[in-house]
Amino acid sequence: MDKPMGLNSTPFLSYPEILTDDTDIYDDAWGFYPEFHDVIDILRQVKPVPGKRLMKKLIRRIRQED
Amino acid sequence: MKKIMSDYELIEKFVKGEQSCFEQLIHRHKNKVYAYISLYIRDQALAEDLFQDTFLKVIQSVKSGKYYDNGKFISWVMRIAHNLIIDHFRRIKQLNTVSNDDYESDLFNSRKHSESNIEDHLIKKQIQKDIRMLISQLPDDQREVVILRHYSGLSFKEIAEITEVSINTALGRMRYALINMRKMMEEKKITLTFN
Repeated sequence: MDKPMGLNSTPFLSYPEILTDDTDIYDDAWGFYPEFHDVIDILRQVKPVPGKRLMKKLIRRIRQED
Repeated sequence: MKKIMSDYELIEKFVKGEQSCFEQLIHRHKNKVYAYISLYIRDQALAEDLFQDTFLKVIQSVKSGKYYDNGKFISWVMRIAHNLIIDHFRRIKQLNTVSNDDYESDLFNSRKHSESNIEDHLIKKQIQKDIRMLISQLPDDQREVVILRHYSGLSFKEIAEITEVSINTALGRMRYALINMRKMMEEKKITLTFN
């Protein structure tokens, strides 16, 4: 008897099953990550964030604006 | 379960008088905006001023009804930041002053790990300094695309709108930027890996 499809072969994915929420279609099409993953991985090693002092100052100024 | 409000819902509540809603918006987007400005502007004090000015300008614009929701609040905020940066450089040009490019302070506030030892910390600091140097040596238009895409998380469509170029131009700039960065890494024999 023939086995049903999908048991031994790669199962098909429907479009809604493919997660593309964080994918930029142009980035994907140009293949930046596959070609430049070494550079991009390095860029990801830094995460600039505003300091607490700066945030306090900003919130204070915003409350004064009101 | 508490529902997470969209940017527009927060703006609507803020306009109706709920001040805390705007503060929520700031906390939601502060890292993207700060990353863009602080990596683009080399003078940290100036970057901090522009960061604050951006959100103050956003508040004024929202209050005067200049924001129309199209689901792209952050993109609109980044455009305001972009315009403030452009205005700043125009003013400098008019005043014919010298830029403060040699500012040496480390702009990166990476998450601190208490278990990291001093040596690891120093290596990380050096790597961050090297990465900052790589980014800063890119031509302005390439640097902006890299920052907006990788640190502010904008799509190429949004980047093209903010920088007022075609999507293909933005993509081309990114490609040149990545090629240039790789070339610089090879030339300077920079090893940028954590052990």
